[in-house]
Amino acid sequence: MSKRGQPDRLLTYFKAETWPLAVVTVTGLVYNIGLAFGPVLEGKLAQCLLDIMGGTTGVPAMVRLAVLYVAVTSFVQATRYFKRFYVRRFANNVNRSMKRVLYDNLLHTSREELERAGAGNLMTRAISDVDACVEGMRKFTTEVFDTGVALAAYFVLLLVYDWRLALLTGLFPPVAFFLAERMKKPVSRCAAVYKESAGRLNGATLERISGAVTYRVFGLEADRDRAYGECLADYEKKAAAANLWENTLPPLYQVVSMLGAVLILWLGGKNVAGTGWAHWDIAAFTAFLTCFTKLSVKTSKAAKLFNSVQKAQVSWRRVKPLLKEVEEEPELPPAPAAELEVSDLGFAYPGGSEVLKHISFTAKPGQVIGVTGPVACGKSTLGKAFLCELPYTGSIRFGGRELRDMTDAERAAVVGYLSHQPELLSASVKDNVLLGSDGPAAPWLAAACLTEEVAAMPQGEETAVGSGGVRLSGGQQARLALARTLRHKRPLLILDDPFSAVDMTTEGEIMEHLRALAGDSIILLLSHRLDRFSELDGVLWMEQGTVLAGSHETLMETCPAYAGLYNAQKGGDGRGE
Amino acid sequence: MENKISRIFLRELKRAWPLTLALLAAVAGAVLLGLTPPLVLERAVNSLTEGNGIPLSLALLYFGTLALAGIFDSGKAFLLTVLGQKLTRALRSAMCRKLSRLSASWFAGREPGAVASRFVGDVDTVESLFSSGIVSMAVDVCKVLSILAVIFVKSRGLGILMLLVTPLLLWMTRTFQKRMLRSQLQNRAAVSRVSHHVPETIHCIRMVHTLRKERYMADRYDSAIQDSYQAMEKSNFYDSVYSPIVLIISALVVAVMMVCAALGGGMQELFGMSVGTAVAVIAYVGKVFGPLESIGMEIQSVQSAVAGVRRIREFLSEPEEKATDASLTLDALRRSGKPAVEVADVTFSYDGERNVLEDCAFTVTEGESVTLTGRTGAGKSTVFKLLLGLYRPQVGAVRIYGADAALIPPRLRRRLFGYVEQAFHLVPGTVLDQITLWDEGITREKAEEAARLVGLHETICTLEQGYDTPCREGLFSQGQFQLLAIARAVAADPAILLLDEITANLDGDTEQAVLTALERAAARRTVVSISHRLYRRTGGRQIPI
Repeated sequence: MSKRGQPDRLLTYFKAETWPLAVVTVTGLVYNIGLAFGPVLEGKLAQCLLDIMGGTTGVPAMVRLAVLYVAVTSFVQATRYFKRFYVRRFANNVNRSMKRVLYDNLLHTSREELERAGAGNLMTRAISDVDACVEGMRKFTTEVFDTGVALAAYFVLLLVYDWRLALLTGLFPPVAFFLAERMKKPVSRCAAVYKESAGRLNGATLERISGAVTYRVFGLEADRDRAYGECLADYEKKAAAANLWENTLPPLYQVVSMLGAVLILWLGGKNVAGTGWAHWDIAAFTAFLTCFTKLSVKTSKAAKLFNSVQKAQVSWRRVKPLLKEVEEEPELPPAPAAELEVSDLGFAYPGGSEVLKHISFTAKPGQVIGVTGPVACGKSTLGKAFLCELPYTGSIRFGGRELRDMTDAERAAVVGYLSHQPELLSASVKDNVLLGSDGPAAPWLAAACLTEEVAAMPQGEETAVGSGGVRLSGGQQARLALARTLRHKRPLLILDDPFSAVDMTTEGEIMEHLRALAGDSIILLLSHRLDRFSELDGVLWMEQGTVLAGSHETLMETCPAYAGLYNAQKGGDGRGE
Repeated sequence: MENKISRIFLRELKRAWPLTLALLAAVAGAVLLGLTPPLVLERAVNSLTEGNGIPLSLALLYFGTLALAGIFDSGKAFLLTVLGQKLTRALRSAMCRKLSRLSASWFAGREPGAVASRFVGDVDTVESLFSSGIVSMAVDVCKVLSILAVIFVKSRGLGILMLLVTPLLLWMTRTFQKRMLRSQLQNRAAVSRVSHHVPETIHCIRMVHTLRKERYMADRYDSAIQDSYQAMEKSNFYDSVYSPIVLIISALVVAVMMVCAALGGGMQELFGMSVGTAVAVIAYVGKVFGPLESIGMEIQSVQSAVAGVRRIREFLSEPEEKATDASLTLDALRRSGKPAVEVADVTFSYDGERNVLEDCAFTVTEGESVTLTGRTGAGKSTVFKLLLGLYRPQVGAVRIYGADAALIPPRLRRRLFGYVEQAFHLVPGTVLDQITLWDEGITREKAEEAARLVGLHETICTLEQGYDTPCREGLFSQGQFQLLAIARAVAADPAILLLDEITANLDGDTEQAVLTALERAAARRTVVSISHRLYRRTGGRQIPI
């Protein structure tokens, strides 16, 4: 299901489901036309009984008729089963296709866009719109047959029996339908008012409960109960009114529509007696009456057809602009190792002041560079600059190529990034490491010192970590994310504070694994814990957006702030902040 | 205890007795009138077979019975709605009253949203238990029974046939509905996975982008949707196959009946009927299946409502607090000559295991200003809760002007204590309401005076509607809300001021403003404070806890 033309046209989806729709059409026609034969046969059964009593025919005729009746009913009902089943399958398939397109769009929306203007919410709402829209399409398809075709079939049958009587009695159901349509406005108005009141009541309930202790302290509970009582009274009134309109009117419309039955009994009786417009037997009389009753029931449901179309249209209009075809970019293999050269890098958030200014440093393949500084010095921002989510000034070159000039796919083949939010999926431990790629997860878990802990989990690597990793501790989450980053190694790895929730010994072990695994990748280690910084190949000291680059030793001599921080952590209990 | 919900319902039904009676009448009418149209039809057809035609009066009678049945149906729906709403209202207000009688510790351990769902969702299920459960089930059972009775009278053979088929059908209906429910539950679980996938993707979008996992995520989404569809197809299957089976069975019953009626001899005796009866009886057979299907659904809704009923019953039978002593008055207390606050050898624990306070004792005389000191977690805030009567000590006594703190009635509490909470609790209403808390005894002038005291009057006046501006988060800064909390505490001119530690992060200037306001509020009052910051400013006696 890679490419489908014009995902923003409804017809595309109908076309894609030709086969289920074909089954629906055939079975829908057979079923609804076949439905009309039920009353005909029932009439014939009654007539046959009369004939047997009159001695004009025998029992075998009745047996034949009865068998035919059961056979026809069974056949018609069987087609009904297929019709229902395939209509739903059609709806399911369309739903899935639409959601897939929406989701593809979501996946290719930038993080900034998602954060801005609640694009994420928009997407969530769009998904529920898809549900509403497809539900509408399903109802429409169903009702076209169950209402449209069935009404036509019944009416044709009535015309065949007695066209004058059919036209005359046929006047009443539309009147009932028209009445129902006229009443739609007050009905929906009451429903809206009721919904509002329900919302107010829910708000008041939550407020009464969450404020309970405050109200008690101030001796206000009685007051609040009274206010809540008013909300309840209002809700009772609105709910009763809304339900009144919705539930009490339909039986009355039915009554209007059944006015036609008087004419059938009176004029139809004349037909049987031979003094009317047509010549009827008992079979024709009962068939006509049953058919008419069914027709009037169907008519009262005709409004559903229009309602479902209307609702679907509203949701479709909202979803449509979001259904765009997306270009899928190729997944490239990791880029080869190369040198990193940052010169005069600057960065500011839109509308904000400069967070990074005049940053320059270089790193060779295989080097691990520590980045540190006081709180809010901009080190996380420096890490994010490599993602090019927002434009930077100056230059970041990897292997001589400017990062901002690469395509997203090329950049992703160069830069690996681990944010201090672990961004875990609610999947198993293993899936979180591999994310669908091949091979075992064990080596990467080992690198992140997770082997023992994972083995102790109820289902080992297959243990689900829960939504966002809730079933793991903070440290485990961070290390699992690290294992994932290592599995998807890139020649430039940016690790934002991977050790903040990890104890010292584990940190040491992970550092060793990191060096061994990283090979000729460059690692930028953003951290506020400096215990291991003396072992690194270089250190960047950040303060107020600028950087002082050097080795650990030189910085210890030239940068008193760095030396102070380092000594404080070494000298303290080793858990310095 | 067991029957509290039913007692609430019964009381309400008794109170609205005309409606209850009308509902009973409407139900009876709907059931009986529903039976009549086929009977009229029978007469009409019989009159036809005798060659007499149908008189207009009979035609009108047919319509009349149809119309009346419709009107009664409509009336039944209406009365059921109105009564159902009355019952939910009664239940909700009983639950609301219960809130005031629950202990403060009950609230401490609970998520407000979860409690609110007792009020909203669970009460709705109880309402549906009444309207679409019990009552409509009774109606449907009556319908089925009455139709069976009529069939029995008209044709004994068919009656026996129906008696055999009906339980079978009901059993089949239930089996189908149970299976459907099971696959619907599966589907719901799958659907929640699907809908969880979207926010999760948004949350992890950076990881997805940097690791180029768009494909993988899309595949995961697809498989979640697929799971939900497999569950749904199962429920679709049951849904699609049920009605056809019922209608085929109904056709079979009619066919057997007609053949038997046509047979002579012994069968004739059992099934013998006129043509009119045959027509009427076919109509009746069709009518039995509708209510049968509804009964199945009603059993379902009764079952699903049971959990809701149990939760509400649990809520209503939670242990309650002792009633307060309504005979206490502010004047009597203040003129009692007893110390304003007296904590006598109190030992207190929230859970009955770990004591938060042990042998705590101190006295504060009227007009005195004291600061409670001690590490965090030592129980300073707990002392406040005891003073306010939210909790009772296990050992010892807490007295306010000589009266047991827990017995002070709510009305008096506002005049006795001015409590400045750790964080401001916004109440629904205007800025003025925040200060007065709807107390009519606090005039607008008094509220403005309180606002002036804390230095918030000017700020409020610059708002578009001044004191009548609807108050919401973000209208004021954190510090200003803190000032508003102080204004609220002093507006009722309380005898004792309780100052909790302010937790908000305030900048230097705001902190000074808050401290100044507290200082002014504390003047000429008995003050119990746990604010370090205020102590540093004003001094006073320290009481270690």
